[in-house]
Amino acid sequence: MKIEPELYKAKAKKAVNNSVLQNALAGLQERLGRGTALSYQRLPEGPDLRLKAHDIRSHAIEHLDILLGALADNVRQNGGHVFFAEDGQAAVNHCLEITEKHNIKKIVKGKSMVTEEIGLNIALERAGLEVTETDLGEYIVQLAGETPSHIIAPAIHRTRHQIGELFADKLGISYTDNPPILTQAARKALRKKFLSADMGISGCNLACAETGHIAVVSNEGNIRMSSTLPRVHVAFMGMERITACLEDYDILFRLLSRGAAAQNIAGYVSYLGGPKTDDQIDGPEAFYLIIIDNGRSRILADNDFREILCCIRCAACLNVCPVYGKIGGHAYGSPYSGPIGAVVTPLLFGINQAKDLYCGETLCGACKDACPINIDIPGMLITLRKKRAEGDRKWNVKRTNIMERMIFKIWALAVKNKKIYDFFLRMTGFLQTFFTGHDGTIHRLPFPFSGWTKSRNMRPISSKRFISGSKNIR
Amino acid sequence: MAMEQNEQEEFLSNVRKALGVNPIQKRDKPDIFKEFKDKNPDKTLETINNRTVDEKKALLEILIKEADSLNLNIIPIKDFKTAAKKIAALAEEKEPEWGEKKQIIAWKHPLVEKLDLNSILEVLKAPIPVCFTDLAHEKKIGRKQNDTIRMQMIHSYIGVTSADYCLAETATLVMKTRPGQARSVSLLPLIHIAVIRINQIIKNLKELYTILVYKQDEKEEGLTNCMTFISGPSKTADIEGVMVHGAHGPREVYIYVITDE
Repeated sequence: MKIEPELYKAKAKKAVNNSVLQNALAGLQERLGRGTALSYQRLPEGPDLRLKAHDIRSHAIEHLDILLGALADNVRQNGGHVFFAEDGQAAVNHCLEITEKHNIKKIVKGKSMVTEEIGLNIALERAGLEVTETDLGEYIVQLAGETPSHIIAPAIHRTRHQIGELFADKLGISYTDNPPILTQAARKALRKKFLSADMGISGCNLACAETGHIAVVSNEGNIRMSSTLPRVHVAFMGMERITACLEDYDILFRLLSRGAAAQNIAGYVSYLGGPKTDDQIDGPEAFYLIIIDNGRSRILADNDFREILCCIRCAACLNVCPVYGKIGGHAYGSPYSGPIGAVVTPLLFGINQAKDLYCGETLCGACKDACPINIDIPGMLITLRKKRAEGDRKWNVKRTNIMERMIFKIWALAVKNKKIYDFFLRMTGFLQTFFTGHDGTIHRLPFPFSGWTKSRNMRPISSKRFISGSKNIR
Repeated sequence: MAMEQNEQEEFLSNVRKALGVNPIQKRDKPDIFKEFKDKNPDKTLETINNRTVDEKKALLEILIKEADSLNLNIIPIKDFKTAAKKIAALAEEKEPEWGEKKQIIAWKHPLVEKLDLNSILEVLKAPIPVCFTDLAHEKKIGRKQNDTIRMQMIHSYIGVTSADYCLAETATLVMKTRPGQARSVSLLPLIHIAVIRINQIIKNLKELYTILVYKQDEKEEGLTNCMTFISGPSKTADIEGVMVHGAHGPREVYIYVITDE
């Protein structure tokens, strides 16, 4: 998909005025946000299990070089191929080479955010290949010519009515807005695709270094189909999606399923390692794993942000975020939306380019509470703002304009000196009377303060000082 | 291959550089694989092995309770003969999904063979053929033979398998892939039936991973090239969050638990 975080403000504004989307987002958060919190409470170990999960993930990230080396060795031992791709283009090229080598025409795909990140579909289609997304939500989004608006519920922005019209148009069925009938229509159309595809593409939820398997998770069964029926299977994984040993999955998958959909465990989990053997009836004849860096080693090198690589992309933070809940996924202009997107998108695609994403979040901390790994997302949002304010060569960030810095310098001086501060208060108290309306609020401030009253009325500064009130109490 | 190796070396040295260790020196720390391992696996294995009949029944109860919310049917049953009769009745009642013809695909597996489904289903008024995913007698699969079985799987409305384990706390079937035990049987048909013995039920994921890593025969076999967990029928909530069963895989799943034999 096209990465365009610079359109954040315009798209967010549009989303806030879209009542259909507002209902859908409220419904999603009501259902999943609460469900996830409850499911953490019901864990036998309690919500503190998330701290253990954090330890396991950090441990893996700290030893990434060793684990990736072991994974590659073990996958090859199981008969699979492993490629390491420094950036998105290298990963796409590997995939194109595989399609040529195996004479591929038709491809079915399971949901994978990293392939969205590197623009795989566009490249494959340009090469004349047919690519079909098979997760129902992704399929809907693909038929409509859109991009996913949620990591695990990609078509959450569409109503059943819209989907009914879309299917009537594209699949030639008569119009209905009945979800079971619509699902059945997609099942029928996609079954044909599964059975005629030569290649299946999937992501990777978490690879196991010790055994040389990738683990993939779904509820629909589309990833099992994509990795079982076609003669070639190609899996893409971001380099951080790995763990040391099999036992780690107990905690990580219990939390992943709870974070993603408030489930005890997802409907299907498959551990895949290598092509089928001669005496097996089904499974792919060739298995490829493409491991992608694409900016992740730069995040790894920065201690401020290394922790974000612990993320397992469950989307729990989207389901509780007050900002995501209003503006939806498309505003973020990236496959990664919500709080996780507000950290990952700037780090992968540019802190300046994606500045609205981390400035737009509220720092309320709900994302951290919902995170199954207890990642400090609010802390990283603040660090990103700091980098933007102060500039950072390593991240290619230019310092914010000199005016803003000056104002803050003066402000810092004022609050440290009682005389200046008192004078400032008296002045503003006097000046604000010119801007206060009949209802006692300030409707419009002059430049450079006009931004504060652009979309709301401001309350005037109180005539009674807080400190004088507290003296009376004492 | 040499290019792949170079690419890998460059990639990993980048990672090492980012981690702040010597980029050109391959790190070797075997201990990191042991960090979060079960400290006392033998005890866990012993607990699993020494479960009393009552404890096993208690696990079955947990399984039944968990399965309920997943729309998964657990049917405890005395013996294989009764189970076979029940399965035959189900096969008569249900309609095929694509086309008119009823056909069943089944694993070549000792527990499935004990059902002897053919002997019941072939004498019905409208006989239902049962095909097996069995190629064990062939040294090497010819493409043609493989295609025949694939077509049988595609056109079957019921798939019958067993499983390696069943986890009570999450209502999860665990199956590895072996010759004769094709992956598609639990995936392509509209209805999936699994037959297991009560002593294949274990408590949870933790017990499973301990068994897989420390039990001698499991350790030797490894995970195989595909180990699958199945917890209930295929499902989706992608249209307005409405739960619909049978997205791509089976719409109905039945687990017959043989309690006495």
